[in-house]
Amino acid sequence: MSSVLVLNLVWQVGTLALIALGLAIVFGQLRIMNMAHGEFVMIGAYAPVITAALGLPGWLQLPVCVITVGAVALLIERTVIRHLYGRMFDSLLATWGISILLREAVELIFGRGYQSVAVPVPGTLYLLGADYPAYRVVVIAGIAAGFAALAWWNARSKVAGRIKAMVGNPDLARAIGINTGRLSAASFVFGCTTAGLAGLILAPTVRIEPMMGLDYLIRSFFALVVGGLGSLEGLGLGTAIIAGTQSLFGAALSQTHGYLAVLFISILFLWLKPNGIRSSSR
Amino acid sequence: MTKTLKALLAGAAMAAGMAAAGAAGADIKIGVLVPDSGPAGLFGPSARNSAMLAATQINAAGGINGEAIELVFADVGTPPAEAAQAALRLWKGEGVQGFVGMHDSAVREALVGRFNGKVPYVYTAVYEGNACAKGLYVTGETPSQQLAPVIPHLMRAEGVSKWYLIGHDYNWPRDTNALAKGYIAEAGGEVVGEEYVPFSVAEFDSSLQRIKNSGADAVLVTLVGGGSVGFNVSFAGFGLDRQAIRLGTLIEENTLAGIGAGNANRLFSASGYFASIDSDAAGSFAADYAAAYGADAPALNGLGQSTYEGLMLLAALGNKAGSMEVDAIEAVAEGTNYASPRGDNTLAGRHVAQTIYLADGSGGAFEVETAFPEVASTDGCED
Repeated sequence: MSSVLVLNLVWQVGTLALIALGLAIVFGQLRIMNMAHGEFVMIGAYAPVITAALGLPGWLQLPVCVITVGAVALLIERTVIRHLYGRMFDSLLATWGISILLREAVELIFGRGYQSVAVPVPGTLYLLGADYPAYRVVVIAGIAAGFAALAWWNARSKVAGRIKAMVGNPDLARAIGINTGRLSAASFVFGCTTAGLAGLILAPTVRIEPMMGLDYLIRSFFALVVGGLGSLEGLGLGTAIIAGTQSLFGAALSQTHGYLAVLFISILFLWLKPNGIRSSSR
Repeated sequence: MTKTLKALLAGAAMAAGMAAAGAAGADIKIGVLVPDSGPAGLFGPSARNSAMLAATQINAAGGINGEAIELVFADVGTPPAEAAQAALRLWKGEGVQGFVGMHDSAVREALVGRFNGKVPYVYTAVYEGNACAKGLYVTGETPSQQLAPVIPHLMRAEGVSKWYLIGHDYNWPRDTNALAKGYIAEAGGEVVGEEYVPFSVAEFDSSLQRIKNSGADAVLVTLVGGGSVGFNVSFAGFGLDRQAIRLGTLIEENTLAGIGAGNANRLFSASGYFASIDSDAAGSFAADYAAAYGADAPALNGLGQSTYEGLMLLAALGNKAGSMEVDAIEAVAEGTNYASPRGDNTLAGRHVAQTIYLADGSGGAFEVETAFPEVASTDGCED
């Protein structure tokens, strides 16, 4: 395997893990089938477009992204999602509607046309015997550090356990003093905000337009289907298998074969192992 | 109940208003078929605006055979059967006497079948060529027009010879590349790779790796829309813009805006229209467009502007024939001339021999580098 292929593989797996993280929290933990997940990625990717339109300096992209995505997520949680905990199919329909609403809203503000975002770290780096985009190297390092920190925090924090308790038995969770309203809202907003951050980070490397979110939803779902819900390990395994299959088949044969292989694996898992490789005990 | 009633009343009022406008002197109705929805929906607004500008100018110049024209729009960004239904409603329901359409080839085939040579129909989108039917006239650029003069020119001017061909997996890219191979061989170059990707693909890492390993110094891009944006962004990200030039035959102003200034180094586009064509006709068209729709109007581009061309050709045909009947138009169509922002145009073999512009997108805005006048289509029609 050439070094570029390895780097491409790491890039694909890393970015998919970052995108799917929010869905793993909202779908995997809260059991809200968030069809609007990709739209939060999209809104995050528009953060640099917002700062450019308002003439704000580049370093404000991050706060603008977090505030915009967080505010939209909170608004949606308070008005719609909070009525739908424990109603997975209803949440699917409601968030599907929300996804359309968000796309139309962004189209209304910025138009249907493509936007572009300049790469903050331009040029290529000579790495492992090949030229590789410098920005990708920075992002890969950032994602690795971020997930390491998340795993460390997750192992120590009791939040994951509380969420599990809240979803499993809301009344009992309230009885032992868990503020379920606040916890679920915080989890939903956190999950959506990570999606927005993924959008912000990917923005200089992808096409940006109101419909872009659809690309990210499907692959994230596949990763969760294969990896299983409820653990960081499952998320890692699922993204590695989905992104890895696409990359390797795409490089060895063609993109069509890569896409076919991903669909094939996802269907096999749904059929034979519907809870994925690592599913949290229920 | 009240809501239904209100909607009915509003509909009736609108119909009355339309009838009144019709009675006020608009005697020839032209159906303009543009995509308001679907993948090409991005081009709907600029296509509508360009068509309305054409109607204003045609009417100011005396209309068609002294009668004013009135445009009736329909959305054809839909599946072909629905698009044909929408066109049929305009034709049989509203009495439209001629059509101008900017849409994909599947919709065109459905319309040709439905019209059956009974109503004049001008097709304006860039397409793969060889559409021939009674009553059908094409203003859109075909691959032979965009590539025959441009490929040898680029090979000489940029000193490139090894081409990699990449496109989406459908007939327009495949037909384009089949012709391109001939032009490349004639000019002494070689094709070092050819690849078609499905529309579902959003990342091009493996394709870019193949391009790098192929040693190509030129890439012909027939990816469309978002795929083209994603490909070109990553292409520059990997520094491949230093290895190879890129030539696209459907990279217009919107696509270039999505690719971004930083990723457009040595990116060329061949088209019959760019907003930045430096001529009096193109300049005054752009000024009229800005005056009519404001500075924030949807950006001008080849696909949107093509509806203007279509209406100008339809008006020229109607005036030359003295009628909007297909038989009368068929008798005089060959050789019909009209001037437009694109330059001087002549109908030959149901297709328009027109000026083809080669523009350089480096820096994020198209700069027209070379103009090839009166390029006829070799994928037009025999009759």
